[in-house]
Amino acid sequence: MLQNEQEYIRILTDRLKGTLPAEDLEDLLSDYREHFRIGKTEGRSEEELFSSLGSPDEVAKEIKATHLVKKAEHTCSCKNIFHAIMATLGLGLFNLVFVLVPFIILVVLLMAVFLVGVAFTIFGPVAFVYAILQILGFPSFSIWLYPAAGIFFSIGMTAVGLLLIIGDFYLARFFYLMGIRYLKWNIHIITGTVGAA
Amino acid sequence: MNIQFKKGVLEICVLAVLAQKDCYGYELVNEISKRIDISEGTIYPLLRRLKDEGYVTTYLQESGEGPPRKYYRLTDSGRKEEHELKDEWMRFASAVNALLVGKKDAAE
Repeated sequence: MLQNEQEYIRILTDRLKGTLPAEDLEDLLSDYREHFRIGKTEGRSEEELFSSLGSPDEVAKEIKATHLVKKAEHTCSCKNIFHAIMATLGLGLFNLVFVLVPFIILVVLLMAVFLVGVAFTIFGPVAFVYAILQILGFPSFSIWLYPAAGIFFSIGMTAVGLLLIIGDFYLARFFYLMGIRYLKWNIHIITGTVGAA
Repeated sequence: MNIQFKKGVLEICVLAVLAQKDCYGYELVNEISKRIDISEGTIYPLLRRLKDEGYVTTYLQESGEGPPRKYYRLTDSGRKEEHELKDEWMRFASAVNALLVGKKDAAE
């Protein structure tokens, strides 16, 4: 493969087009064009400059991850945080363990709390109605030993269920913000040395 | 030098060079790469991040040859950050040095 300015710029453009806004991309490319231009006036060859710059792929990955994390911070959405995490995963094998594993654990945890909340919320009214029917003597099979207490208990259950769901949303938002900070820190630590000789 | 050692220190190096004088990208890259072996291409993303965080600003300045060059300058908050990081690094480095020397003594 050719290792010249054109190829370097081509790879960066190819990897970042569609992710980075056009003007940001142009600004970035102009930095590298300037680097080649000044390097050449100092008598270095394009191949030499290319190899000291290192892999354009690594540069593109870092820029992409930084940009997507910024985007997820700016606009909170599941899609944005997912893209940010995927881009950060691309930065190295290390991140498979230190980003993917905590992410999966968090998602499972949040889902579990949500499902328990939903179950409580739904079971509450059902148990409430059943307790009343039991008091009236309709069902032949009783689930409540003391139906009167069952009425209060089922109301309590629904309340706890709703609290769990609401709390889960706050928890999710908290982890989202913490997650962004962690990804930023992670990109900061992981990069800057990629491909260093 | 071990790659691990270079992690994270690049930012301090960039801020420290800019604390001495404004630089254009190529000049900054050279200042650092003549002392530390790095992938030079990674400095530009770092500069963009520093600009985003408000630690540096850029301006264009004519050069003797060719089109104007993009210069990087530390902002006030960049200068503050540079002081803090430098202090932190100095304390860390001297603590590590003390430990290393101590260990060597014990081994002898």
